[in-house]
Amino acid sequence: MRLETDGKMMTGRDVVKAALLGAEEYGFSTAPMVILGCILMRACHLDTCPVGIATQNPELRKKFEGNADHVVNYMRFVAEEMREIMAKLGVRTLDELIGRTELLKVSHKKEAHPKARQLNLEPILHHTDAAWLSRERVHINEYNDGHLDKTVIIPKVETALERGEKVELDLPIENTNRTVGTTLGFEVSKRFGEEGLPEDTIDLRFTGSAGQSFGAFVPQGVTMRVKGDGNDYVGKGLSGGKIIFQPNLPSALHRMEEVIIGNVALFGATSGEAYINGGAGERFAVRNSGVHAVVEGVGDNGCEYMTGGRVAVLGGIGKNFAAGMSGGIAYIWASDEKEIKKKCNRELVLFERLDDHDEINELKEMLTKHVKYTGSKRAKHILNNWEASVKQFVKVIPEEYKAMLTKEKEQEKVVQ
Amino acid sequence: MGYLKGFMDFNRKDQDVRDPIERIKSWEEYVIRFSDQDLKEQSSRCMDCGTPFCHTGAEWDGAYVGCPVNNFIPEWNELVSEENWEEALRRLEETNNFPEFTGRVCPAPCEGSCTLAINDDPVTIKSIENEIIERGFDNNWVEAKVPENRTGQHVAVVGSGPAGLAAADQLNEMGHRVTIFERDDRPGGLLMYGIPNMKLDKETVDRRIDVMKKSGIEFTCNTEVGVDITREELNREYDAVIMCTGAQDPRDTPIENRDSQGIHFAMEYLTAATEALETDPKDTPITAEGKKCYRNWWR
Repeated sequence: MRLETDGKMMTGRDVVKAALLGAEEYGFSTAPMVILGCILMRACHLDTCPVGIATQNPELRKKFEGNADHVVNYMRFVAEEMREIMAKLGVRTLDELIGRTELLKVSHKKEAHPKARQLNLEPILHHTDAAWLSRERVHINEYNDGHLDKTVIIPKVETALERGEKVELDLPIENTNRTVGTTLGFEVSKRFGEEGLPEDTIDLRFTGSAGQSFGAFVPQGVTMRVKGDGNDYVGKGLSGGKIIFQPNLPSALHRMEEVIIGNVALFGATSGEAYINGGAGERFAVRNSGVHAVVEGVGDNGCEYMTGGRVAVLGGIGKNFAAGMSGGIAYIWASDEKEIKKKCNRELVLFERLDDHDEINELKEMLTKHVKYTGSKRAKHILNNWEASVKQFVKVIPEEYKAMLTKEKEQEKVVQ
Repeated sequence: MGYLKGFMDFNRKDQDVRDPIERIKSWEEYVIRFSDQDLKEQSSRCMDCGTPFCHTGAEWDGAYVGCPVNNFIPEWNELVSEENWEEALRRLEETNNFPEFTGRVCPAPCEGSCTLAINDDPVTIKSIENEIIERGFDNNWVEAKVPENRTGQHVAVVGSGPAGLAAADQLNEMGHRVTIFERDDRPGGLLMYGIPNMKLDKETVDRRIDVMKKSGIEFTCNTEVGVDITREELNREYDAVIMCTGAQDPRDTPIENRDSQGIHFAMEYLTAATEALETDPKDTPITAEGKKCYRNWWR
């Protein structure tokens, strides 16, 4: 356990005080924001940030004058002030400072203030036993140093990173291994740019439970397979990579809609593929703008705010599916069509049958790959009875998006 | 902030001024009022900041930032953008006794501290303020504030410049009887004889004095305290005396040829100019004290 503090941390003095009261982590937000140019406009939610911070509007972004170095400089000042105070207190490291409430003195102002006077500070100034105070602390830097990408994966895939050679790797994974693949993805993008590597160049096969943000932002050319399950944020911001999950259970025990990845998978993903042989938690593929994904069931708010890509759900959906969905298409294999339609948010979307030849083939291709990668029984069954199954799919498409696709097609015809 | 993206869609536009060729023919005000469309656009440029500075009114290194009378600027900007002029006037009157003076001649530290000015041109706060009060007078919304009950206290205010008038207005509203003493022939002090007509029309000053008279304030002109009436007399006859005489000593400029003919202190010149305006605007003496006066003369 680590005790974290935040709330108007501004100076080194604030940090030292928090540490003396027992804090082990210190969160800063207002001060670094102001250093980047924030003027406390309170318009972050309006897309009108006049200093170009809380907005994507290119005109407003031009006004952004922030500089990361200024934040670094600020943090240096905070550290410097901490050092000065620590020197006065005769303390060498921050660890020695934590929980040393005896070094704090109650200000004389307390007694002079009508409200503060009534406070009993005894509980927060209580001195905890020495064993707790002197216990070994995990530092965030050490945590990063022990990151799976840095310690294991990147050194082992060097040939792929240097010469683009195909590499396969089998590794165990635990849920304390977070953001696995992200730093590797950075190395790939740094060397090969936006295009990444040819498909499956780096093929990573994990067994176990993947920690949060597995495969986040992974680019083209990186394939990440898991035999087991995944935590929240699987494939967050996926940028071209491929993510495959299949359960690590004797097949007799596995029920198809059993959740095997956590919430908010594929959030804000832009491109790539995902094959999940099992159910996903809430908010699956929210803000997806290009990924093609197959999953065997999703929780509430699936495909919310989706703007592109394809999602095939071979099972049930939670409530509020497709809310605010303005692009992309979802295909739901529905045993109970009425129930599916009831669970969708109909504000922007239409329900249709699959009739377009190209579209049917595209879906078939997705399911074929799903079987190939995950051995999904359900997908196999659907493909075996394709003629009948294809009629059981409910196609969910935003009205505006459909109009746009139709227009595009017409224009293509004109060009031809 | 009636329209969220006003500051993104519209640029600042200042009020037009009369053509100099036309302007030299008379002493009338040279600033032209905004059109309805301009007002809607300009007022919607206000961002209704989470942390505004325009109305803060704080002294910073000897200078004022933000509105010294703490006008509710973002509020009436929004009301104006919604064309709710009467409510805008009510909000403006909450903090400002004489918006028609500040709306014309205030140096507008509000605009200097407008958040929009960080990377753009500030909102035209001063012009909007002036328009609110002008529409108030146009529509007879400006009323004499006659107190319901009188306290029985009698206050003497010495000097009828902006400070004296504001003090009198506030005290009268509270129910005290107020008498203002002015040594010149007309009340207004700096407003009357300091600021030239083309910036602040003397009829505008008279208009306000009339409202104040209607609300029960008494004016005694041509009476110099210390000459026509002594301080002791004031103390005896009044429950309180407020001195609002302003800084009467001009700052001299000890430079070569300072004693040449035709060099006057600003107030001497400006007073003479306004007096002349009331009679016959023929001769204009040359002045040299302060940038603004020189500029005024140049016009």
